[in-house]
Amino acid sequence: MNRAVSVAVTGAGCLCAAGPDLDSCLAALFSGKRAPAPPRLFATGHSVPYPVFEVGENFFPATCPADPGLLRTARLAIAAAGQALADAGWEAEALTGLRVGVAVGTTVGSAMNNEEFYRDFRSGNRPGMAAIRHFLASNPAAAVARRFYLNGPLQTVANACSSGSDAVAVGAQWLRQGLCDLVIAGGADELCRTTYNGFVSLMITSPEAVRPFDRDRRGLNLGEGAGFLVLESAALEQARPGRTRARLVGCGAACDAHHLTAPHPQGMGLKRALREALAPLRDDWSGIAFVNAHGTGTLDNDRVEGMVLGELLPQVPFHSTKGFTGHTLGAAGGVEAAFTVACLGLGRIPASVGCDHPDPQLPVAPVQQVTALAGRYALSQSLAFGGNNTVLLFEKGERP
Amino acid sequence: MKPAAIQGVGVVGAFGCGVASLHESLRRGPHPPGRLIFSAEGRGSSMAAYLADPTPLERFVSKRETRRVDHFSRLALLGACLALEDAGALEGPRDDLGLIIASGYGATRTTFGFLDSVIAAGDPCASPTLFSNSVHNAAAAHVAIQLRITGPTLTVSQFGMSVASALARALAWLAEGRVSRVLFGAVDELCPVLGYCHQRFFGDPSGPIAPFALHRHSAVPGEGAAFLLLDGSGSSRYGLIAGADLGRIPVRGQLPGNGSYILNAAGHPSCSSHYSRLLPTGAGVAAFTPHYGSFPTGQALDLAVAALALRDGQLPPGIWGEALPNGWQPATLEQGAVTCVTCDGDGYFGTIRLERG
Amino acid sequence: MSIKEKLKKILVEELNLEDMTPEEIVDDAPLFGDGLGLDSLDAVELVVLVQKHFGVEIKDMDEGRPALQSVNSLAAFIEAKSAT
Repeated sequence: MNRAVSVAVTGAGCLCAAGPDLDSCLAALFSGKRAPAPPRLFATGHSVPYPVFEVGENFFPATCPADPGLLRTARLAIAAAGQALADAGWEAEALTGLRVGVAVGTTVGSAMNNEEFYRDFRSGNRPGMAAIRHFLASNPAAAVARRFYLNGPLQTVANACSSGSDAVAVGAQWLRQGLCDLVIAGGADELCRTTYNGFVSLMITSPEAVRPFDRDRRGLNLGEGAGFLVLESAALEQARPGRTRARLVGCGAACDAHHLTAPHPQGMGLKRALREALAPLRDDWSGIAFVNAHGTGTLDNDRVEGMVLGELLPQVPFHSTKGFTGHTLGAAGGVEAAFTVACLGLGRIPASVGCDHPDPQLPVAPVQQVTALAGRYALSQSLAFGGNNTVLLFEKGERP
Repeated sequence: MKPAAIQGVGVVGAFGCGVASLHESLRRGPHPPGRLIFSAEGRGSSMAAYLADPTPLERFVSKRETRRVDHFSRLALLGACLALEDAGALEGPRDDLGLIIASGYGATRTTFGFLDSVIAAGDPCASPTLFSNSVHNAAAAHVAIQLRITGPTLTVSQFGMSVASALARALAWLAEGRVSRVLFGAVDELCPVLGYCHQRFFGDPSGPIAPFALHRHSAVPGEGAAFLLLDGSGSSRYGLIAGADLGRIPVRGQLPGNGSYILNAAGHPSCSSHYSRLLPTGAGVAAFTPHYGSFPTGQALDLAVAALALRDGQLPPGIWGEALPNGWQPATLEQGAVTCVTCDGDGYFGTIRLERG
Repeated sequence: MSIKEKLKKILVEELNLEDMTPEEIVDDAPLFGDGLGLDSLDAVELVVLVQKHFGVEIKDMDEGRPALQSVNSLAAFIEAKSAT
């Protein structure tokens, strides 16, 4: 096994507030359209209607009807995974006989926090077990494998906000190990009253539309969605030439070991993760076209990320797409991996929406208009609660 | 793939904490279970459960440093400290160390504690401390912070398959040279909601767990943590982990009939009945779940038992009951290898193969 | 119990400062950094505790930062808000 071996990305799929599929999302990103709104999925008791980025019911494909026996997170995962497979040119039947792995990052999708059930239990009643059965049937990796009749390895990563990126790294490792012919890897997370209350309580939720890297940023907006890549073995790639959208060239991860919720003030973990992800380029970083920043819009995140980018990659254009999607937590790494692959193929990145007045305290500013790319490589970085940082390095492929 | 060498073992469970306590419990036979107290409004009751006490953590970390660390993360942190201590690695740099933690259900007490804060005083009084401790990777965060682990950290959550799945990642990290050592651990905790779920699904547990009464419900819920310090050195007093895999029954058919197996059979017929499809007649089997109870990541404690057995050159007395089913035999260590096996109710199985170091 | 006494009790009990008693907290000692050693997560927890125990809302950290300097400043903030 060699960490330096790159892995083909042959398909990408995404479902989030920006659009029902990857093409619609990109159209929204490049037109600067976004529509955060107070939550409609649940009621809240806050005096401020903190806006969120919800996925409308009409965004789900007909093949994924609402299923009361499945958590919304698993439904989002199945929808986006299906898209990614279709984008890679795979019919479900054609996967029979292949070793197909599924790696999914999530936060809500693995948490047992059904509020209705618990209110009932807490008040001394004996609530029925339906909610628990649904939870037990909805582990995202298992749910995707079940839906597409897959029999390869499964992994559900619960690594907070870097989960989606971590899952992509897991998938690449399976291929290098020779355990799989094909891997569906990414992240999925639903918007949930519990996480909404949690992020509001941390006072990092913005009362207005999120403004990553802006001088006046006031916090994040939560979002929901799912994003997946299809990764393939060298043998499959050669058997179906011309399908490669990008290559996953490097992965890095490191922990701040600093604080439960705050990033390391000097970005120690992020720098280490970046250097590890960039190791395959050796010292020549001139080919890096852009960085998809985590860019949540919180004071701390954007400060640390801006500082680290200013130090390591001061000339490289970067943007945050969370102004279009909200922070989709465990899905973010998957959603943004899909965006990164697509933007590399298109040769341009959208303006980093929400940044009207770049923060003068930061050494760098995100792109404020659609920007043409120079270079074959792109980075996507994720910073997580708990201090983990994960960075993925992609190289441009054969088709956009 | 190159095997991973076990350099240290740290365990916490109903038997106490540390390898010596586990060893003693295995030698003497399991204690009867304790009681999990329910305290939901309008109801006071209790049920049999194997509970773990993380108080000895004070030996490693000051109270001040752990003031925000909940029961779940304390179990993990204690397991982690004990594993490093056992390996003689409590001191020294840890920038070459990766951290991987498996949990079936995460920090359930704090998950519901956070909901308590919302329900009791309304949405504006939701507790940020409880929220940030309720996420699945909180244990990994606390372990990394307290032990200054700056390599990659990963938390894996797949119910009963969590341990085999997460351990496979640890082996791959070592094989690829991503890190030179991995602190691998697993943790789960009990809470009243899980106790209630157990009652609703299976009735009141009475104990003792009869692992090999495969079709009779005898499960008693448990909690605990097991951590292993792994490296690629190839030599270990505890043995080597040669592989960790997930599979689906019956896709890959039966496991080899001449092997020795530690089953995570814990008295759940919906899981245990699958062992008959997986293990052929003549297989050598043992189970140790009556020492720590039934929980999603209990396989990590089986793994610790296997490591102790390889160190000692013999398996501890198993708890087989009156007669083994399926023509199975009591397991021995004659071949110098043992495989930990777990099955879930959905037809997945997880295996971890250990060999003498 | 005065607001300050109640605050000190809340600090010790709800932030689990097990290594000290309420009486040991000095009225004008800094709550964060070198003083009591609290951090950003304690700050937001304190905002919730003030809401819960005194019914006083701290809207955001622009308002919270000056109030959360010491027991003195926080008590003064609560008194001023309660009076209006």
